[in-house]
Parts: sequence; structure tokens; C-alpha cells
Amino acid sequence: MTPTKKSSRRIAAAGIGIAAVFALAACAPPGAEPAPEETEAGATGTLKVGFISPTTGNFAVAGQEMVDGWNLYWETNGTEVNGVTIETIVEDDAGNPETSLTKARKLVEQDQVDVIVGPLIANTALAVAEYAASVGIPNLHPVAASDDLTQRNANDLTVRTGSMGGSQANFPGGQWAATDGGYDTAVTLCADYAFGWESCAGFKQGFESEGGEVIQQIWFPNSTTDFSTYVSQIQAAGADLVYVATAGGAPGPNFLNAYLGLGLDQDQLLLNCCAADQGTLRTMGDQIEGLKSISYWAEGRDSEVVTEFVDAYKEFSDGKVPGAYVAGGYVTASLVASVLEENGLVTGEDLVSAITEYTFEDSIFGRVSFDDYNNTIGPVYIREVQKLDDGNLYNVPIATIEDVDQWLGKDPEDALAQPTYSQSFQG
Amino acid sequence: MFEPLFLAQQALNGLSFGALLFLLASGLTLVFGLMRIVNMAHGAFYMLGGYVGVVVATLTGNLLLAGIAAAAVVGFTAFVVELGLLRFVRGQELPEVLLTIGVSFVIADLCLAIFGGDPQNLPADVRIPGALVIGELTYPWYRIFVIGVAAVIGIALILVQSRTRVGAIVRAGVDDREIITAMGVNIRWVFTGMFVVGAALAGIAGTIGAGMQSILPGVQNEVLLYALVVIIIGGLGSIPGAAVGSILIGLIDAFAKAWIPELAYFTIFLPMALVLVFRPTGLFGRVA
Amino acid sequence: MNRRRLALIGLGVLLVLGLALPYLGASSFIVSLTSTILIAAILASSVNFLAGEGGMVSLGHAGIAAASSYGVGWASRQGLDTGLQVLIALGVTLAVSFIYGLLSMRTSGIYFLMVTLAVGMLIYGLAFRLSSVTGGENGISGVIRPAWMGQYWTYYYVVLACFVLVTAALWLIGRSPFGASLKGLRDSESRMRSLGYSVPSYRLGAFMISGFVAGLAGLLSVWLTAFVSPSSAGVDRSVHLIIIVILGGIGTLLGPLIGATVVVLVENVLSSYVERWPTVLGLIFILVILFARAGIAGSAGKLLRRLRGNGGARTPGGRGSSASEAVSERNHNA
Repeated sequence: MTPTKKSSRRIAAAGIGIAAVFALAACAPPGAEPAPEETEAGATGTLKVGFISPTTGNFAVAGQEMVDGWNLYWETNGTEVNGVTIETIVEDDAGNPETSLTKARKLVEQDQVDVIVGPLIANTALAVAEYAASVGIPNLHPVAASDDLTQRNANDLTVRTGSMGGSQANFPGGQWAATDGGYDTAVTLCADYAFGWESCAGFKQGFESEGGEVIQQIWFPNSTTDFSTYVSQIQAAGADLVYVATAGGAPGPNFLNAYLGLGLDQDQLLLNCCAADQGTLRTMGDQIEGLKSISYWAEGRDSEVVTEFVDAYKEFSDGKVPGAYVAGGYVTASLVASVLEENGLVTGEDLVSAITEYTFEDSIFGRVSFDDYNNTIGPVYIREVQKLDDGNLYNVPIATIEDVDQWLGKDPEDALAQPTYSQSFQG
Repeated sequence: MFEPLFLAQQALNGLSFGALLFLLASGLTLVFGLMRIVNMAHGAFYMLGGYVGVVVATLTGNLLLAGIAAAAVVGFTAFVVELGLLRFVRGQELPEVLLTIGVSFVIADLCLAIFGGDPQNLPADVRIPGALVIGELTYPWYRIFVIGVAAVIGIALILVQSRTRVGAIVRAGVDDREIITAMGVNIRWVFTGMFVVGAALAGIAGTIGAGMQSILPGVQNEVLLYALVVIIIGGLGSIPGAAVGSILIGLIDAFAKAWIPELAYFTIFLPMALVLVFRPTGLFGRVA
Repeated sequence: MNRRRLALIGLGVLLVLGLALPYLGASSFIVSLTSTILIAAILASSVNFLAGEGGMVSLGHAGIAAASSYGVGWASRQGLDTGLQVLIALGVTLAVSFIYGLLSMRTSGIYFLMVTLAVGMLIYGLAFRLSSVTGGENGISGVIRPAWMGQYWTYYYVVLACFVLVTAALWLIGRSPFGASLKGLRDSESRMRSLGYSVPSYRLGAFMISGFVAGLAGLLSVWLTAFVSPSSAGVDRSVHLIIIVILGGIGTLLGPLIGATVVVLVENVLSSYVERWPTVLGLIFILVILFARAGIAGSAGKLLRRLRGNGGARTPGGRGSSASEAVSERNHNA
């Protein structure tokens, strides 16, 4: 057969194929499914939970801890609440948004889950939140800290249950630094992406609202491993206070090693939640006793529920003290349990409203409630690293600010009218 | 921004980071020079070396022992890889590169399984404590130590290359592979040996690097990219080129982050792209 | 029945299966997953075209697709209508491919690999940097595809049609005089130069074609997931593309589809059951390189030919598996 004849046959075949495609595309296949329906309140049965977390890849530790926190609650308290059985399916998204979305689709369309918990990383969280809302499935976020999750990208089915927005916790922290902390000037070092911008913006606004002055802001790429060049810049700035916000993981210890290695003073440091999380404490050890930080989670807080939780986790993990990721997963589980206890089996929008109308008096975070945008309102702690009786390092609160919301003292409408935080716009 | 103290510190920052890069890149460039393989698993070797080094250092408190252990473990791994895998695709440029990509995947995931995902650093007491103090300038001894180690190893490598029989064989092999076989040397073992040496260097770099920055999942890709940039700029196969490239990249990195932070992402790749376009064989490389 | 006809029938069966998928009781999830596979296959085809026909292996194609996705994403969020979205995607794709091509057209082999890697990382960096346009780390979400493609099965057919068209088009180009010149370039650059061919221009042309396909994949991808973020341009993605192409078989017609099926299924389905799935993927990859260098499609082709006892017309200038054979033979002789 000559090439020309063969080509034209193929083209003809392709043409027929395309025509068939269009013909078929008009009719719906039997596989198409309607959106999941909501069950009646007060019912019993099973609440199927789809838990998405990066248990492999660059965020594997944080991702696994978030899952562990959730599972720990159910293991300690049983998976049945008020006649409702909780069934959890865990999926790994490796921190990749496309994988996150595919897993979310699988959980909703194939496994028919009633609610999605997670994922962790900000961009994956935003993507899944959007998808979940589009198919009518509630999406709870135990750790994701993107401001916009409960601001510009907020929707009726997305709830941030176990953490705070990037700017939210650091605002009162900044205020504390300028007042009780006694600092006049500050230099900030934040990760150069949304979470870092939000954290620094929160701190800066809080610090300056109480008369402090931020004299320089330094930004580092998220993948930085060698902080020496930034520490030199910090030293050259000559401020009273050094505020540092990282996304958790390696930057915390890397920064501290560079900072302390250059002989600078630890008392001048104020870190955000993630830079001073348990991962950092474990890696750095006793040399960082006395290090101060700002967070919504303080594992050293003197409270019965916290002690119970810490002991349970230490048993679960062979002696490790729980950080914010574990706490986020755990508090989300306890929230769901409390709501099911009061209402029986609820799904869909009823589940969301049950959660957001609930005030959790004695959670491991303290008193937690929710605002109109489905974000947490709760305590923020100024913490200090201390060695407690069991020989481990804990973040112990030295100051508490109650009922912190995400609006940084403004009206929601005014706050939302601002541009999103960036290097150039810091509020 | 331009005070002498700041300049001196940033220069030292750049030099010490460059020193680490040299330790890392020297192995990579040696392997390429002789075997024409770009070992994409080099970053994974660094990572494995780092983990092993940290474990041994934590157990024994001795940095030298940690370095030797890391070199041994990574060297052995490389030996297995070379003998068991690379041998089958010897001489075929593309499959070699691809194979090493696959190896990198596997080693990285296995490291996650064995060592967990927490960032690992050398324990503080193993890292040479204290700092050099000259007037107002304070600089950690450890980073100066790294510069020293890199210099010593660099000189050693150049000496071996130019003064010893092994070095002569390697240089001959770089120029013309068939000649070595004609000389009666078993080229296969030269190749294997070089691959192991290159990997061992990466392992040592990992251990030493663990004192400056953390070892954690994902580090293998980051350091590999840096190493590739250095050897492209310096010239594939050249030790002096790797030295110059490392110092250059280290200094650019340190100062660019301070003076033009907006370009922080591009400081590494722009020089590499420029070199590739205008002088593809690198500053010291030979025209293949 | 000769080999050609057998191949055609095989392809036809595959096509029919593809068309009927939503009606075979597959859930919406499986159909969406298949759409994902097809889009990955299209992107892999662009890499496969450059690597197989032109002998240029690129580690930066994810960047082109991502740039296209960002263009569409931004346009969609601005509320621009479909036609403009496609135009912007086209414009961005062509511009980016041109830059890639310009920077790389004088390089080959390992240097080509490095340049494409570098440009890919530049795009990745830009995706972070230009956060007002790209949304930085958070990316752009809520991208809406045209209403008439809204349903998951309709969109599946759109993607399927694109895949068939792209595969056919790339195959036709491969058999055209241009394709023959490219193969000549791949086999011996110096010979082509002595024949008077301008090597850089051919390379650039090949890159533009390949880039166009990659941009199409980017458009389809962002319309499927409604989302784009910097990770779409990262080196990990480009490495996955190489894995897909090699697994499937460099230079083969269906290699990208086979490779995409394996990789996407391992990433999304196997990962639910096996924790160490990256190791599994890496091992599969290594095994393929060691023992089945022509990839799954290429090896299957060789096996078939061997089973028929070297019978069947071995047509000159043949497409598909014979090209991959040429590649492996060339490597053996190197």
C-alpha cells in the first residue's frame, strides 16, 4: 500500500471517529452520578471520612503527624459516638495539588465519603476546598494555614478546624512584642510565599499598632537551606527583635544553627508557630531553651486535656511530644466527635453548621469557637521553650491572648477589600 | 549594605557554601569526565551520606568516623549500582542518565523509610563549636573548617590526577578510552573505581553538609541542581573548573540574596543558562 | 494479514474501547482518571516527538505546559471568554516554546538536557515570583472550562479527540520530509550539516511543534483540574514525563499512552495500597531501562516481529517501532 493511500485511510478513520465522538458526547452515559444527598439529622449510621495528607514526599513528617493526631483520638476514645461509627480512609497526596484533587475525586466519587479532612499544604488545600464545595461535600482543615481559605476563597462547606490563618496568630504576637515584650524595633525574616507574607503582615501590623517599628523585612526562598547570608543581613539591620516565620520543617533548625552559629542573641528571637514546632525542638535540643515563639498551640500548657493528649501521644509515638500538626488532627477529631455527640449523624451543610455553631470550651487549644467565615476564633500563646519533668522540651505559654479572630482588629468587609498580602503589601 | 563587616561575612558565607558545593560537585565532574555519565543519583548519594553521617556522629561523637562511615556506605552503594546496573548500559549516554534517575528515586524513598522525614543535623557537640573572632567579625569555626576540608580535598584530587599513576590512567581515559585498554589496564575496574570515588565524595559532602544545613526528603534534588549548575559552569570533567564554579556560585548566591533578593530564584539558573548558550563547554571544559 | 493491517485493527479496537468507556459502567472517577491519563499521554507525546524523531531529550517540558495552564487560568479568572482563553494559551505556548528553542537549538545531548532543565526552573521561579498574576505558591484555582464541556463525560470525549488528533498529527509529521530531516539530524548532525541543512532551524522548528502539543496538554489539564500551581512546572513533573516516555517506548506511537497509564495508575491508585510506591515506580523504571530499553510498546513490537519469524514487510522509513529500534541500535553502536 502506498503511503498516500494509507494516510488518507487513516484520516478518514479519524474523521469518522471524531464524528462518533460528537454524536456520543450528546448523550449521558449510565456512569454519571448525581451529587450525594444529605442524610437526616439525628440519624445513626456511619460517617465516612476521606483524609488526604502528604504522607510521602517533602512534607511527609507533617503529613503523617496530622493523620496520627486524627487517628489517635479515635483510638483513645473509640470510633463510635452516639450511635454513629466513624470510618476513615487515608490517602496520600505527596504534597502535589494534582494528586490531591485526584484523591479527592476518588474519595467522593468512588468511596462515597461524607466529609473530606485535609489536605495540608496551602495550594493543595485551596484546590481541594474548591472541588469539595462544588460537589457539596464538607471540607475540614486541621492544619492548612492559608488566610484565603476562610477569606477570599471561603465557601459554605469549608471549615478551618485545627489551626489559624497565617496572619491571625501573629498579629497579637506582634502586639505583645511591642508592649509586654518591650521591643521597639524589629527586623523580620519570612518565607517568600503566601504563608510567609501573611505571617509577616500579621506580625508587622500588630507590632506597629502598639508603637513598634519594623525597620527591615527580609524574604527567603522556601527552598533555602543555607541561612548564613540572611543572618548576616539580620545582624547588619541592628534591631531589638528578630521575628522569623517559616513554613515548618528544615528551615527552622537551619536558621537557628546559622543564627546561633554566628554568635547572635537568642533572647532577641521571636519565631512563628512552625519555626518553633516540636520538630525543631527535637532537632536542636537543649541549646534553645528559652526560645520564644507565637502560636495557637502550646503543648506545655497546664491543663488536664492537654496532659491527657500529650501522654496519649507519647505512648502512641514512643516518647515524642505532639506538635501543632498532631494537635490539629486531634482537635478536628474531637470537634467532630463533640458535634456528633450533640446531633447524631449529620452530613453536608448540617455538619458544617453544627461545627461552626459549636463553642468548644475545653479543647486542647483552649476555648475555640467559629466566625461567619468558618474560621477558628481561639487563644494565641506566647510560648517559651522549657525542659519539663519528663526531660523533654516543651513550648510553655508565658502569655495568653483569648478569642483571637482573623480580622486583625478590622471589619471583615474592610479586611477583604485589601489586596492579598505580598512582599509589597504588608497591611 | 556595603560595610566591611557585612561584606566580609557574606564573602565567608559564599566561600563556605561554595566549599560544600565543591565537595559535592567534584565527585560529579570526575565521573562525567571519565565515564561521560551525568550521575543524577549524586544528590541521593549526598543525602544517604548525610543520614549515615548523622547517625554515626550521634552514636560516636566523632566527625572523622562519621565521614569515613558515610564514604564507606555510599561508596558501597555506588559499587553495587555500578556493577549491578550501570554496567549493562555502559556507553549509552541516555540510558545511563535515565538509570541514575531511577536509582535516585529508589534511594530517596528508601531513605525516607529508614531514616524518617524529620530534618537531621549533625549534633551540636560534633560540629566544631565556637567562632573565630577578629574585631567585630564573628564567624563560626565549623564553616571555616568546611572551607579547609574542601581545599585539602581539592588539592589532593589535583595532585592525584597529575602526579600519580592512577591519575595518569584516568587522564588518559578521559582523553581516549581505547588507549587505556590498549595499555593493558582493565578499563572496567577504572570506571567502577571512579564511580565509587565520586559517590564517596558525595557521601562525605553529605556528612559535612549536615553540619551546615539539614538533611531531609527533597534535599537530593536541591543539591543535585546546584551541583549540575557548578559543573556546567566550570566545565564537565574539570576539577579546577568545579572549584571555580563552586566559589562563583557560592558568592553569587550569598551576595545576590542580600543585594537583589527579587532575583533570589534566578541567581543559580541564569548563569547556567548563559554559560550553556554562549560557552557550552564551561569555563574550563574541553571541547568534546 | 500483514503487519500494517494488524496494527490498524488493533488501533481501531483501542479507539472503540476508548469511546465506549463511559458506557461500560465506569464511574465518573474512572472516566476522570482516564482523562488525566490521556492528557499526560498528550504531554508525553510532545516529549516523545522531540526525543524519538529529533533525538533531543528535554527535562523542561512541564514548564511549557504549565505556562499555558497559567495563561488560561489567569484569563479565566479575569472572566475572559473561551476563545480568548485559547488564544492566550496559544500565544503563551508559542512564546515560551520559542524561548526554549532559541536557547537550546545549538546544543545537543546532555547539554540540551541541561538547558531545558534550566529554562524549566526559570519558569518555576517565575510562577512563584509573579504572584500577582500567578497567585504564587497558592496557584490559581476555580478555573472554569466552557459550559458545553462541563460534564465529565463530554470533556472526556474532548480530551480523547485531542489525543487521537495529536497522535495522528505527530505521526504524519514524522513521516513527512520534515520528519525525515529530523531523523537525519538525530542520527548524524555533521552529515546533515555537510548536506547544507541548517541544524539550528530544524531544531527550533521541532521544538515549536513539540511545544505546541505541550501547550495543548497544559490547556486541557487546567480545564480538567480547575487548578494550576508552580508544582506543575517543577523538575519532578518533567522527570515524570521522561519516565512515561521511556516506559512506553521512545519513538513509538502508543508509547506515551502506555507509559502514562502505568505512571498515573501507580501514582494515584497503587499509592492507596502501597506506601513505598515511589520505590516501586523507580524500580519499574530501572528494570525497563535495563531489560526493555525500547519500552513497553517498543519491546512488544520487537516481540511480535520475532514471533512472526522476521516475516511481514519491514517497510522502509517505517514509523513507530522501527524508529525506536533505530534509536537502540544507534546506542549499541555508539
